[in-house]
Amino acid sequence: MMEAPNTQAAAAPLLEMRDICKSFFGVQVLDRVSVDLNAGEVLALIGENGAGKSTLIKILNGDYQKDSGEILISGEPVQLTQPRDAEAVGIRVIYQELHYAPDLSVAENLLLGHLPRRRGALGQMVIDWGRTYEIAAKYLQMLDVQIDPRAQMRDLSVVEREIVEIVKALSGNARIIVMDEPTAALTPREVTLLFGIIQNLRSQGVAIIYISHRLDEIFQIAQRVAVLRDGKRVGTLPIKDVSYRDLVRMMVGREVDQSQRQGSAAPAASSAAPVLELDRLSRANAYEEICLQVRPGEIVGIFGLLGAGHVPLTRAIFGAERADSGTIRVSGQPVAITSPRDAVRAGIGMVPIDRKVQGLVLGMPVRGNITLSRWSGVSRRGFFQQREERTHVQKWIDRLGIRMAGGMEVESRYLSGGNQQKVVLARWLEANVKMLLLSEPTWGVDVGARADIYDLLDSLAEQGLGALVVSSDTQEVLAVCHRILTMYKGRLTGEFTRSEATQASLIHAAAGGEA
Amino acid sequence: MTTIASTAPVKARKFRFSTTTTLLIAYVAMCIIFALLTPYFLTVKNFENIARTLGVVGVVAIGETLVLIAGGVDISVGAVAAMSGVVAGILWGTQALPIWACAAGGLLSGMLVGLANGAITTRLRINPLITTLAMFSIVRGLSFALTNGQMNQLNNRSFQLLGRGDIAGVPFSLLLMAALYVIFYFILRWTGFGRNLYAVGGNPTAGRLAGIPVNRYLLAVYTLCGLLAALGGLILASQLAAGTPQAATGLEFRVIAAVILGGTSLSGGKGSLIGTLLGVIILRTLDNGLILVNVSSYWQEVAGGAVLLLAVGLDQLRMRLGRR
Repeated sequence: MMEAPNTQAAAAPLLEMRDICKSFFGVQVLDRVSVDLNAGEVLALIGENGAGKSTLIKILNGDYQKDSGEILISGEPVQLTQPRDAEAVGIRVIYQELHYAPDLSVAENLLLGHLPRRRGALGQMVIDWGRTYEIAAKYLQMLDVQIDPRAQMRDLSVVEREIVEIVKALSGNARIIVMDEPTAALTPREVTLLFGIIQNLRSQGVAIIYISHRLDEIFQIAQRVAVLRDGKRVGTLPIKDVSYRDLVRMMVGREVDQSQRQGSAAPAASSAAPVLELDRLSRANAYEEICLQVRPGEIVGIFGLLGAGHVPLTRAIFGAERADSGTIRVSGQPVAITSPRDAVRAGIGMVPIDRKVQGLVLGMPVRGNITLSRWSGVSRRGFFQQREERTHVQKWIDRLGIRMAGGMEVESRYLSGGNQQKVVLARWLEANVKMLLLSEPTWGVDVGARADIYDLLDSLAEQGLGALVVSSDTQEVLAVCHRILTMYKGRLTGEFTRSEATQASLIHAAAGGEA
Repeated sequence: MTTIASTAPVKARKFRFSTTTTLLIAYVAMCIIFALLTPYFLTVKNFENIARTLGVVGVVAIGETLVLIAGGVDISVGAVAAMSGVVAGILWGTQALPIWACAAGGLLSGMLVGLANGAITTRLRINPLITTLAMFSIVRGLSFALTNGQMNQLNNRSFQLLGRGDIAGVPFSLLLMAALYVIFYFILRWTGFGRNLYAVGGNPTAGRLAGIPVNRYLLAVYTLCGLLAALGGLILASQLAAGTPQAATGLEFRVIAAVILGGTSLSGGKGSLIGTLLGVIILRTLDNGLILVNVSSYWQEVAGGAVLLLAVGLDQLRMRLGRR
């Protein structure tokens, strides 16, 4: 299965990408980027969204064509014009969104396209199921994983699906495996499992390019780290020679430190009615008897692990899904919110968890996305006023620091994650909401844009906006919230002010421990 | 990653043709070919003829464009057009109503079918292709059932103005169509309704979460489409001086072909009325040119289908090249 480590490897690295350049629509996305990779090594590839990581990987996988530069495998130049070429030289990319057939078994997914056949009356038409499971089990053993080859893909956990994908790559003689944010959807325990697999791969001489926004992981798993910024390689360093802060500085080009954030001051106690108040809000099998208040100018966090019920709770507040019982009050007045439209009318905006699916109309220009929820500010008698619309939109672009190639007319699909998130925020600011619900607001957003979004929330709160931040990231709620509630199995289990909360206390309360 | 963190301007427009430009070039090329093949093509009289026949497809195509932009599709437009003429003809046959009331009856019947299309797709969540295909059969069948397959005379002078009359030498139906294109162009481009239609088609989930009443928009747009299809049917009935259940056979193909040719996306969220208008003119001119060079009507149908495939194929190719 595995090829013996190349004997020339001492002289030439397993993979070398030399002076890769690539531009889209006249914009240079990669500018003479060079990366090398040795057998048995994990190279972390980091950079902000839009730094060029994905483009580099897509060139390596043959999805995109480089404009210039060279790719060498064990010192031999190769032409990668389509994914099949990359596969032939032993390169496999495991993308964030896995491609598998959910209703087929693990074995079928592993052997898709070359299922063993049985010779018989029908020639080679009949599949030999016995051998299929046998071969699949053999492959799975290469990595010592306990996955039943007969199980349906659908029933596997996220990490198990990723592992199947890795095993599939190995079964095709992959020598270089690229993992694009493999831990984005994993629990800490699953991360440990994945890291075990990666160590196993290394010992078999496989080289790994590991892309992640989670810098702490990189220190655990990588030997070297390559940093990209604005399409240029900032540096490649042994991991033992750099600190967390060094990496952030290299990525962002300036100092950003989340843990030292001061944040805005919590609003002073006042008699003003809470901008949002939930009174015994319940929904069967999701959340029970939720009571909470958000005062004007206050940023409240709800921290819970996946499935704690915080996500359906926000959906109920926004009218995307109804609660079974309970009352929602906005600025003291009970409101019946049966659709997102009602919520917007009541002055509530939502930044959803998945901006690409729920937040943006990707095929629409940035301009249209920003004025989508409320156009009364930029229109007269129902007709858009071009100049006013452009002025308003430009104001938000400047104020939020939305960066994009081609200006406000560019389709929002071409923006990086952080900038897309800012567009969603700009829409609610244009709509003049007084309460903002944010669901994992910086999920998949790079360090720099993350800091921008936090700063923005602070300044909005100072102007009286109420915000409810729902997150499964302790760093996030600690960085931005005045008050943090924890949620476990549909119930609120703890309440902390920012000064009393620690990562440990939050996790403890959100995992069902006594507060 | 196709995300680009820079503020350099997009230069792509300089060397990539827009759909409109491509269509215009194709149109001119087509005209040159026909002009070389036959001396009867490039005459004022012939283009007047073409202009006279644009109205029906042109008007119905407006509604279809709106529906496609909103992410739906309406197959029932041809049947609705026929029914509208039939209803007007039956009402006129009773001799109890003035002609404008008969016409209004036709329009109302179209609106109701459109409303039903919208209600079924949004409330019962039945795929629009299936819904409107079923409605296509139901409505066409009803038209035959109501008339026993017979036509109803619509011999009224003022009604004939709609499809056959001229104002200052310009066909009335062409003027009406032009006015509707102008009005709907502005609605699509400059009103909140138009803007939201693109959002509803582009990403209904995001649209809903942005506070847009998505289902109401779909309902409105199917109703409008039914209304415009009925209006197209009345223009046709006026040209035929009768409401007949056989009218507008195959109209749905011509309409959808013109809209798609004009660059409107079948998956919603993209499209323009300028493109649709060009699509209508191109297909109409193609029919006309083929008649003049003595191609049989059977082959005209073949040509219509081939042109549609060619146009969409080229568009796909263009997009794929643009992405590389």
